[in-house]
Amino acid sequence: MHGFAEVSLATLSSSTSDTLDHLPYGVIGLSSDGLVEIYNATESKLAGLPAERVLGGNFFNNIAQCMNNFMVAQRFLDEPEIDATIDFVLTLRMRPTPVKLRLLQSKAVAWHFILIQRTL
Amino acid sequence: MSAELEDQVTELLQFLYACPVGLAELSADGTIGMVNPLAVKLLLPIASDGLVTNFFQVVGSYAPELRHIITAFEAPYGTVCEGHRIFVHAGGKNGVADPLVLACTLVKLDARRFIATLTDISKQMLQERRLKQAETWFATLLDSVNDFAVVSLDRHGIINGANAAAAKQTGFNQDAMMNCPLDTLDTPENGSASYSAHEQIAIAQRDGWHLDEGWRKRPSGERYWCQRLVAARSEDDGSHPRVISGYTVVLRDVTKNGSDSVKLKEMLTTDHLTGACNRAHFFEVAERQRLRCSLQGQPLAVIAMDIDHFKQVNDGHGHATGDAALKAVAITCKALLRTNDTFARLGGEEFVVLLPSTDMAAAVKLAERLRTAIGAVSLHAGDKLLRITASFGCSVTTNPSMTLTELLAAADTLLYVAKRKGRNRVEPDNCVSGGTPGGKVTRFAVAAENQSGKVGIGICE
Repeated sequence: MHGFAEVSLATLSSSTSDTLDHLPYGVIGLSSDGLVEIYNATESKLAGLPAERVLGGNFFNNIAQCMNNFMVAQRFLDEPEIDATIDFVLTLRMRPTPVKLRLLQSKAVAWHFILIQRTL
Repeated sequence: MSAELEDQVTELLQFLYACPVGLAELSADGTIGMVNPLAVKLLLPIASDGLVTNFFQVVGSYAPELRHIITAFEAPYGTVCEGHRIFVHAGGKNGVADPLVLACTLVKLDARRFIATLTDISKQMLQERRLKQAETWFATLLDSVNDFAVVSLDRHGIINGANAAAAKQTGFNQDAMMNCPLDTLDTPENGSASYSAHEQIAIAQRDGWHLDEGWRKRPSGERYWCQRLVAARSEDDGSHPRVISGYTVVLRDVTKNGSDSVKLKEMLTTDHLTGACNRAHFFEVAERQRLRCSLQGQPLAVIAMDIDHFKQVNDGHGHATGDAALKAVAITCKALLRTNDTFARLGGEEFVVLLPSTDMAAAVKLAERLRTAIGAVSLHAGDKLLRITASFGCSVTTNPSMTLTELLAAADTLLYVAKRKGRNRVEPDNCVSGGTPGGKVTRFAVAAENQSGKVGIGICE
């Protein structure tokens, strides 16, 4: 129910930050204008940024420029309903790191989510 | 790790994540050790497997020379290359947002470590290309061209004028072109990379002009290499945003030989009908003259002039007669001006004369001469002889901070005073000081000559 591949938008948006912090993958929740409103502990550890440094910042412009493209940022603009998993390379702590991204967006939920799982 | 150190690492990471230049650390074989998000963003669209793990693998098909440049660099450390251009033309995945050209700088730290910076320079490249085009265009004016085809478009891009050379070059009848969009007569060949007229006009609207060249076809099927310059004509009176009134298109069949750059210049700077300086060129010249006069402490005079009852000429005798009147006025006025003076048609029946180093007394004197000369012109309208008159407003400035727009507006206001006072007269600016010493502006014989009640146009037998 809380697995990377199964977790639903409804579950994510209704979970407490404590629950999210205990998930084994990164969870980023963005407002409709791209500001970070949810940033779980796993993601914070992987990226090397404490949540308080990231919350309220513009995600695609200041934190993850590499996702400001057709594969991620553009899809949130183009597709009102998304549940897609893609392979990606992130620069976690400046190291190119292959990951799986799960993009989630629905009109019913205020946030859109990016879930990040390191592929080992 | 201490909390303080932790904070510093965080700050460093945030700095690198937000850095507006792509940064990567490479090993000698191109393996990426560290990389910031922008570098990944720039490289991702050209990575064939969607993975950015080896720099040479990613840029290999666009800049295979980079691998050799690094290998050939024998010094133990130093700058391997600076601003090396990688023409990626990624187009597609990200559409127009993809970079087209990246500038790459490589620095060798030691035998095993290199730093690469990446910057998207697509915009600068476009700019450079356009400058290069302009340079080529103006350079080739000096040789290898003999005939300029000129087509005039309205602000919607519809043809409203074309010269005989345009008909000859495109193979279309001069009349048949009228009211057609430009592409009708100037079809690029199928599969050609040439811009469509629509695209060119859009760019000219944005940048003022656009130059393109490519194979084009005549109705006969014959193909020729055509250079096409689309220049926007704007009502540039200093107001923002600029209002575009139409476009001038110059077509050149480059396969021909010969040269006529004077003719091209004339076509770009003069009014099609009257041969007077056109509006765009006037503002250019006038601004230069204004600067020159203010630097030299010389007065600059402007005479605004308007043909009286012009609408009645057009409506009563047809547009051909109206055109003849405009031409006659232009010829008459130009004959009376000095070489440094500028005579321009600002639109319709409005003309303006710019007189550098001229005070109010001299400007009024000249305006009187113009008025008299125009009054002596006879036009044939069918079997009738038509006389025309014009009204004038003169303004002068010695104040360097007075703008051209203000100077023209002052002359224009006086022109309307002249109209109100009965037309066929010159209205000087009585408030102007700083004319010739002791030369207080006088009305000359205007009052005596003022034939009140007489309309500007009379018909003689």
